[in-house]
Amino acid sequence: MSALADLRAFWAAARKEWRLLRRYPTQFLGFLFWPIALPAAYVFQARGYAGDSQAALDAFAARTGTAEIAGFLFLGWAAYMWISMILWGPGTALRTEQVRGSLEALFMTPASRLVILFGPVVSQVVWALWMFAVVGVAMTVFFGVPIGAPAALRALVVILVAVPALYGLGALFAAVVLRFGEVGALVQAVRGVFTVFCGMTFPIIILPEWARAVALSLPPTYLISDLRKVMLRGADLAELVPDLAVLLVLGLAICAAAVIAFRRTERHARRGGSLAQY
Amino acid sequence: MYRPSVRMNDELGLELRAALAIARKELRMARRYPLNLVNEVLQPLYQFLLPSVLLGATFFVGGRAVGLEENTGTTDLAGFLFLGMLVAGLVATGFWELAFSFKREMDAGTLEPLFLTPTSPVTLVLGRALSGMLIAIGASVVLLAIATAFLGASISGAVIVAIPALLLAAASMVGIGFLVAAGVLLLREPNFFVDSTNFAFSMLCGTAFPVLALPLFLRWIAYLLPPTYALDLIRVGGLGTRPLLAPALEWTVLVALAGVSLLVGLAAFRRVEHHMRVRGTLGQH
Repeated sequence: MSALADLRAFWAAARKEWRLLRRYPTQFLGFLFWPIALPAAYVFQARGYAGDSQAALDAFAARTGTAEIAGFLFLGWAAYMWISMILWGPGTALRTEQVRGSLEALFMTPASRLVILFGPVVSQVVWALWMFAVVGVAMTVFFGVPIGAPAALRALVVILVAVPALYGLGALFAAVVLRFGEVGALVQAVRGVFTVFCGMTFPIIILPEWARAVALSLPPTYLISDLRKVMLRGADLAELVPDLAVLLVLGLAICAAAVIAFRRTERHARRGGSLAQY
Repeated sequence: MYRPSVRMNDELGLELRAALAIARKELRMARRYPLNLVNEVLQPLYQFLLPSVLLGATFFVGGRAVGLEENTGTTDLAGFLFLGMLVAGLVATGFWELAFSFKREMDAGTLEPLFLTPTSPVTLVLGRALSGMLIAIGASVVLLAIATAFLGASISGAVIVAIPALLLAAASMVGIGFLVAAGVLLLREPNFFVDSTNFAFSMLCGTAFPVLALPLFLRWIAYLLPPTYALDLIRVGGLGTRPLLAPALEWTVLVALAGVSLLVGLAAFRRVEHHMRVRGTLGQH
């Protein structure tokens, strides 16, 4: 199958998912509610922890490098929500096809596996961008965090550099779905690891040394830290080159692992005839 | 000779036995999925409690939660959050085990046959409430033990005095569960409705932070929710926090709001159930 035909199949898969999404309009409310409500709850929590104590606020600023509590938390949770979408994305798409009984037929088509894995996820890119926009508006309007166009553009670069690592993780989860059928518990556990280690609500400097080492081996740590640096501290991209390089290398390694895992699982599923089983 | 009171007692006894049977069935089903039971403890721990404790530690001055102390009168951050989880578990049971269980029956196509049995739908809800709350309380006790053993939480034995507040909170959540169940029956695609209202309700009750940290208009909503007072009384007993109102007044308001929740929830549920029976829409989803 030619690259052009693959591209058309990719577009068709994305359009199909978008159409399905439109059939359930209550999901749109969720995409408006959660990007505001979830981080806002943690902002109220931070207010509860700070009280009127200047010493507590100073301690926060010293540990995080910023006094923008709302900005700090909103950016952490925006990254969390994006990661959640990606972790659920490709795996859930395959699982849905499996439950509908169309997965085996899908694997019989000449379309590239990349189309099957990432075609349905393209519609989620729209939601990821929407979610970041809602977070930006909420930060500015409700909490007065200033966001300039240059900082937003630098943040976009950080997000793009993180794409291979995060979508690679999504593809790894898809391999697990093909192998074991169910991915919910694993996604919850991995999300938990990211929440505890990657600094969504706190700076990783407060973690014990062993936990910090774990944090520095996980791509979301760099994504969150760099988003905060460019948006809240005005850092330019040159300062972030070492972090972004680590993120890219991790991304390439995860993508390579995902390709190997996916091929092996597919071969196993074809031989065992388990594609249609769930 | 017709003796209405005896017959009423018999009927009540039968409904009670049915509720207990339903609770036993739900607990037996829960035991069949031990990983889900483990998740009842692990999920709140890693998705909410640990990130919240770590956020709190970012504000520590000299190892003490001085800001929290200003707001609440305690520096015991872990105790504050883990006691909050106790009430958050009850709230989640009201929303997911009571109200959302109707959606599960709808999806399985068993809601209409279920409503045709001689057991009252109210009894079905109460049975599920009982099992759900037992699981939630069990998970909270394990979480409190973890907080005490590893995170330095120090809950005073005086918390026992607040156990009736927990029971009143459970009763009020049954009422609110009925109310939300009415919404579930009407909406038919209620995932977002249940998820978002559960989250907002739980946050407004102060499970994650002191109610005083809320903006004033949200604080007034918090004051209308019965678990707000139950949680406050539990924290006063267990951690010696400053109460929102005088404790005697909090008990009075809690009893009144629990009663109102039960009455309003039950009335709303019965009305929607009647409406759906008349329209013949119980089997649709």
